[in-house]
Amino acid sequence: MKLPAPVRHGINLVELFVHRHGSKLGFGVIGVLLLFLWAPIFVVSFMSFADREVLNFPPDELTIQWYVSFLGNQQALDALYTTLHVAAFATPIGIGISILIAYAIDRYDFPGRTALQVLATLPMIIPLIVVAVAMTMFFGQLGLGSGFWMVVFAHSIQIIPFGTLIILSTLLSFDKTLEEASKDLGANELETFYQITLPNILPSIIAATLLGFTISFNEFVYTYFVKDTATNTLPTYIWDRLQHSASPEVNVISVIFLGVAVLMVLLAVLITNVERIAIRD
Amino acid sequence: MSNNERAVGRVSSSFRKASDTLRDRPRLRLAAIVGIPVAFLAFFFIGPLLVMLWFSFQSGMPPAPTTLDNYIQIISSDLYFGIIWRTTVITVQTTLLATVLGYTLAYSIVRFSRRATLLLVLIILPFWTNYIIRMYAWINILQSGGVLDTIMMATPLYSEPLSLLYSQTAVLIGFTYIWLPLGTLPFYASLTNMDTDLIDAAKDLGAGPLKAFATVTLPMTMNGIVVGIILVAIPTFGSFITPALLGGTDNVMIGMTIESQFMEAFNWPFGAALSVIVSFMVVVALLVALLSGTDLFDKPEESQ
Repeated sequence: MKLPAPVRHGINLVELFVHRHGSKLGFGVIGVLLLFLWAPIFVVSFMSFADREVLNFPPDELTIQWYVSFLGNQQALDALYTTLHVAAFATPIGIGISILIAYAIDRYDFPGRTALQVLATLPMIIPLIVVAVAMTMFFGQLGLGSGFWMVVFAHSIQIIPFGTLIILSTLLSFDKTLEEASKDLGANELETFYQITLPNILPSIIAATLLGFTISFNEFVYTYFVKDTATNTLPTYIWDRLQHSASPEVNVISVIFLGVAVLMVLLAVLITNVERIAIRD
Repeated sequence: MSNNERAVGRVSSSFRKASDTLRDRPRLRLAAIVGIPVAFLAFFFIGPLLVMLWFSFQSGMPPAPTTLDNYIQIISSDLYFGIIWRTTVITVQTTLLATVLGYTLAYSIVRFSRRATLLLVLIILPFWTNYIIRMYAWINILQSGGVLDTIMMATPLYSEPLSLLYSQTAVLIGFTYIWLPLGTLPFYASLTNMDTDLIDAAKDLGAGPLKAFATVTLPMTMNGIVVGIILVAIPTFGSFITPALLGGTDNVMIGMTIESQFMEAFNWPFGAALSVIVSFMVVVALLVALLSGTDLFDKPEESQ
């Protein structure tokens, strides 16, 4: 198909422009989109030091009074404690199960191997609200009620897909001749696992644990539906606050969430590498 | 269930005893390794989904007669049909925005930047920050007299506040913001895996940068494109936080309707039916993706 001459001429001009200025365009795109990603985070962090109760931008004066009032707010501190308490159980359960799944998929050939991998990935694919209301009905119907432990198990379910993907990708790239050598030298499978496999995949297990903790720390949708009124985590606490009116205290809590994300993700990246965390290859 | 009982037994008995038993019985070992996770996922994940399906056919809180009324009510009502339609439109718009921007970002990083690791960290960090907090940040920016209005009115272009909060535009901005990292990473993966010699070859044969992109790069990264679309579209379709915080009462999406069935109306069977419809849309989307030949679940290559 031959395009009309003016169109071809136009395309050629654009091609020439892109050819000459491609890298400038690329850096422009990176700059603009990173600004888009980070500007809101800078705004809330900055607003946490704003001096007035009514949100106005820019603030007249900077103050740390909202941090002081957060530390004096028993409800918020209780929510923070509950969040950490839930994560302390949900993370090891979720990561423990992820290790078993990743190990089984990598090392064994059994009927349903692909099905197991799909099953372990599904909680990441099915919309959170669907699983959340399903759990509410299931726990309600079985008389398990709602509350702390149901929140823990729900969080574990959400951790499993991420944990499995990170640990499985390490297992797949791990040199298996080391394990064969260990077995040739007389070690059984469990000994080989503890002495050869585990030390080699430990960095990715630690990274998965850090990210699992972050998932649990941030988790809102499952918690919101499964929890009882006594169990409030920090995300459900801020959700309640936002239903009424935003207060500068929410900005302080934003800084806490940002701090946790930065700390955990950077640690995880340092321990393994960013590709393993960011990309499912 | 014997596998599961054995699996539970493994946990409770002493480690050494288990170690000895498992060493001698490879099948038991596999049953223990596979049994625990399968039992956990079956109970806390599959069980709830099945109960939800059962609930959607109940005429009231069980025990109640079985009925199709919940579904008939959804399909025959203009209100719910309208909500599903609006949800679909917003999902398509969001997916387009997030994947086009994500692809552009991933492409720019892979082709032009030498600091890919740093940039990837900068892209995933906002993604690991709390969802509600990120939406709250946009409330601050978009509300009347907020950050955006302050900046815009300082320029000579605007004299009236934009007051974008509680509009469909606000919802789209919020969703695009949330999903941009997820719309970037699959493209980054498929672009880094691509053989760049092919682009050079196309250019040597006379193609300009745009033609080389359209005829070589784009088709070779199709798998990443489908994965990116799926990763963005499915959670957007089921979302309720973003429309609730940024959309106000005029931009109700199906996730918000489900939430209100459980938190306000307490009509669980009707909420269950709405959730089943969301799941059905998700399954359709996944099937379309799988039929287009996409490797969604990254099956591990046969090792050993």
